[in-house]
Amino acid sequence: MTPGADLALFGISVLSGIIGALAGVGGGILVIPALTTIFGVDIHLAIGASIVSIIATSSGAAVAYVRDRLTNLRVGMFLEVATTTGAVGGALAAAVVAPQLLYVLLAAVLGLSILQQVSRLGEELPPEVVPSRAAAALRLASSYPDHRLRREVPYAARRVGLGFVMMLLAGFLSGLLGIGSGVLKVLAMDGVMRLPMKVSTATSNFMIGVTAAASAGIYLGRGDVDARLAAPVALGVLAGALLGSRILVRLRNQQVRLIFVPIMVVVALQMLARGLGLHVAFLG
Amino acid sequence: MTGPLATPPGPPDSHRSTDELRLVVARVLLIGVALSAALVLAGFVASLLVGWDGSLRGAAPGGAPTDVGALAEGLRNLRPQAIAQLGLLTLILTPMARVAASLILFAVERDRTYVIVSMIVLVILLTGLLVIR
Repeated sequence: MTPGADLALFGISVLSGIIGALAGVGGGILVIPALTTIFGVDIHLAIGASIVSIIATSSGAAVAYVRDRLTNLRVGMFLEVATTTGAVGGALAAAVVAPQLLYVLLAAVLGLSILQQVSRLGEELPPEVVPSRAAAALRLASSYPDHRLRREVPYAARRVGLGFVMMLLAGFLSGLLGIGSGVLKVLAMDGVMRLPMKVSTATSNFMIGVTAAASAGIYLGRGDVDARLAAPVALGVLAGALLGSRILVRLRNQQVRLIFVPIMVVVALQMLARGLGLHVAFLG
Repeated sequence: MTGPLATPPGPPDSHRSTDELRLVVARVLLIGVALSAALVLAGFVASLLVGWDGSLRGAAPGGAPTDVGALAEGLRNLRPQAIAQLGLLTLILTPMARVAASLILFAVERDRTYVIVSMIVLVILLTGLLVIR
């Protein structure tokens, strides 16, 4: 790559890191199409670079989120049982399942979730939740300091079982389709378990690193992680994630949702395009 | 963060074990991220000097390392690609180190539920690393 291309790739990666840190998603939606359409990179190397970018987004931002108590460690670790199990299952199933239909199904699930998200656009905090018995046993209730609302916000989790099943699905799809599935993770925590939006994106951010690490070994072994591409991506995404993590604490939950919804729409369109076999620039 | 919220009044889970867990997890992540960023940056800067396939010790050009042997050879000869690759490997191992650190902390606290939870996650991660090829 020329120095100019390196610089452009670095810039795109910074942007991807910022967006990923704010919305709790990996960099795949931006990094993969940018690499394949602008730089003409082979899809396998693009996915290898995107795995690196997911882990960089996750670990880079999580340093601040964990320290600032935005990440709910117990929720994250408990649900990682589901996402990693699903990811390994998905990787094993990749040989026997035709992905076309799954892309369309995923697009449909996201499409329905868009309605739910839009109906919550004006909501700053979820209504008070009575924690379920499972949530109490797992001690998932917590609180986070909201710098924008200038107070400590207590919260609880509900529908833990349904959230767990949705995380299994998220992990399965990420293992099978090679997507980060941060969007599904945020939807499980915000939409199903009713955690505050910032806690949902910060905890999703925390989890996507582990989900990606579960399949990273496969890509490393195949030689898909090419340092020439992955080095500028990793450095840019880390810088962006550090920056993004400083921004999130200053935002209202409503603003975070306003960032999340368009990303969700793009992912839904990307999945639909792949499912229908369309090749549209920047839809992958 | 310093500010009015730096020491919040008694959040429900602020007992010592959770606070300690947070600090340890944040530290493991910070060390992993800093170390990998330093290595990747060093590899990138070195690539500007001798090219990605070159060697700071003047060895013959070599390609991308895909196994441990090639990585070790590349590091001995200070190849930019091997240095950056070691940084990327560090980055990929950071989430696993974080799970392992949590497991140790939960074990010290005798938090049986979360010892089991983190053990399952760690075993699955290692399975993914070793079995699925």
